[in-house]
Amino acid sequence: MSTNRKTRVALLGCGQIADAHLTQLKRIRSAEVVAVCDVHEDLAWQAATRFQIPRWDVHLERMLKEAQPDVVHITTPAQTHAPLATQILKAGHHVYVEKPFTLDAIEAEEVLTVAEKVNRFVCVGHDQIFDPAWVRAKSWIKQGLIGDVRHIESILGYPVDGKFGSLVASNPNHWVRRLPGGLFQNTISHPLYRITDLMHEEQPKIVGGWHCREGWSFPTELSLSFQTGNQSGSLTFSTFLPPQRITRVYGTRGCIDIDFDSQTVRFHKLTRLPGAFAKLEAPWQQFGNALWNLSNNVRRFAMADIHYFAGMKTLFERFYEAIQNGTPLPVPHAETYRVTHLMDRIFDHCRPQEVGDRQHLADGAYPRLSRSIS
Amino acid sequence: MSKTAFVTGGAGFLGRRFVRKLVEQGVTVRCLVRNLRDQDGIFASLSDKQRRLVHIVPGDVADRALLDTELPEVDIVYHLAAALGGSTSTMFLNTVIPTRSLLEAAALAEVKRFVLVSSLGVYGTGKLSYRGVLDESTPVDPCPELRDAYTFSKIRQESIAWEAREKWGLPLVVVRPGVIYGPGRSLLTSRVGLSIGPLLVRMGGGQQLPYTHVENCAEAIVMAGLTPNIEGETFNIVDDHLPCGKQIVKFLKHRGKRVRSVWVPRPMIGPLSALYEWYSNWSEGQLPSVITRYKSRAIWKSVRYINTKAKQKLNWVPRISMEEGLNQTVSTEL
Repeated sequence: MSTNRKTRVALLGCGQIADAHLTQLKRIRSAEVVAVCDVHEDLAWQAATRFQIPRWDVHLERMLKEAQPDVVHITTPAQTHAPLATQILKAGHHVYVEKPFTLDAIEAEEVLTVAEKVNRFVCVGHDQIFDPAWVRAKSWIKQGLIGDVRHIESILGYPVDGKFGSLVASNPNHWVRRLPGGLFQNTISHPLYRITDLMHEEQPKIVGGWHCREGWSFPTELSLSFQTGNQSGSLTFSTFLPPQRITRVYGTRGCIDIDFDSQTVRFHKLTRLPGAFAKLEAPWQQFGNALWNLSNNVRRFAMADIHYFAGMKTLFERFYEAIQNGTPLPVPHAETYRVTHLMDRIFDHCRPQEVGDRQHLADGAYPRLSRSIS
Repeated sequence: MSKTAFVTGGAGFLGRRFVRKLVEQGVTVRCLVRNLRDQDGIFASLSDKQRRLVHIVPGDVADRALLDTELPEVDIVYHLAAALGGSTSTMFLNTVIPTRSLLEAAALAEVKRFVLVSSLGVYGTGKLSYRGVLDESTPVDPCPELRDAYTFSKIRQESIAWEAREKWGLPLVVVRPGVIYGPGRSLLTSRVGLSIGPLLVRMGGGQQLPYTHVENCAEAIVMAGLTPNIEGETFNIVDDHLPCGKQIVKFLKHRGKRVRSVWVPRPMIGPLSALYEWYSNWSEGQLPSVITRYKSRAIWKSVRYINTKAKQKLNWVPRISMEEGLNQTVSTEL
């Protein structure tokens, strides 16, 4: 593909998250949105009208044929991700899939295998690992500031009376409620890949479970612990908390707090001073952290660099670069599979007693990715 | 013989009052509710006799099979349901798409009247002169995508309803209420100013507010379904003696409510909106474009609202005066 022309992007599924995609795509000079598509003409029309996109359609095949996109972003309900991704890949287009990637690891393996076969790329929407706060924290970890990573704690506050939560909670037929992992399947990939991004072992042991909050007919709370030989992690999804996305990374020499919503990164070094002096060192460090975060965010604000979906923009750019210039994929196919597989194991672990439609697999029985996929 | 009406949105702020007004007219009501917990609110203010006229239909407006079963049995459809919050796509998903389904089912069932509750916000005020009259002949906003999500979805909803009338001869009547107020809702709406945390940024203050008391509005909607020979008509619903923002704030303060506000004089609204819009564009949305010159003109332009057509053709009278309505409302706010 020529490197001096814009990447032609089409978007399939014009619901809520599509707005975030289209807003970030407008910020990317090297890309142009050539079409949007949705089964509901009103949804496709409103997206095209608001974002001044030259073409909208309700038929995928026709849109692909006439708009000729390089990449198609799939932002439809998760139940449709695998069949649509497979269809689009086979038609010769690269695919960006919103999280959750697929319904399960079996579907993930199928999509990634098709991508390898037709020599096209797939990227999943694990955008928070490209968020400026996370990128900063990773660079500090790489510099060795906290030593070796030993534990990662990831929290997602998701009130069921929030903007999206209330839509899901009030409607038993909402597509999120019909996912094998229910509410969690649509949301926990973010806090989960923030753990797996720093966890060396592919498939840790899982401890914990989910439960229903009083008055609710579906599981609303999730609390999990992940254990490996020398690392651990914990994931908390709570509808009792206001919306928040926080990860704390503990190392052998200190820890780092990453608050995605306030865009702050705080480094705590283990205190070295003895006794009562340590009680002064810690707040002094916190004061330094606060000053650093304040000046950093003031600078970013002045440069108009504070955007909720900043990580999404970077991820798009890296994906398009991989397509155009052959640079490494921002989220390797193997990582995509790993997170999907781990989510399957989580949901199977949480409902061992339930009889569901989905086939429960023993840990060793999950499909393996072909060796060529990496 | 008594008429039967199918009502969507009957559990809402307006809907509950509307259902009561409808049964007071002896109409049998089949009220669609998504959540059965909402039926308590509908029945709360009804007498035992009135309750017997209300039948709860659990389901969703987008459920076409349910509509195809229900609508052949009814005379009038009153469509009040609409999303009040969320992104544009959410508004379209919950307002426009179900309306399409309902319009098709109603046309197929050959209902005798379809009353769509739209919004006074659908008008484009760009071509109106300062303090010009806004009435039913004022054109709908030609650039709805430049307005807020709610207005955009209501304009599209109306447009598909008119298409249905043209295509299938649907006996459509559109009601466009102004800002509906009453006990349980704040008087300080976006027409008065913007709420930023605890602070109200008052925009102008001398412009008329197109308020209508919830009870008055409910009566007008009832009449839009029962008045003969008004198919294809549109009715603006606002009360008499409309207040301005300055009067509302003064009234609230007089009644002991603390209103922390800063004032933006009317001549400054345009330039400040332009400045904000420029910054929003320059920063690529670091601050979202909630205020633009276009939106400001649509909301805070000084125009005069009239209700002559509704009074004449629907024989409607806003029974609750502005003074009484404001007193009722503020007593629940304090």
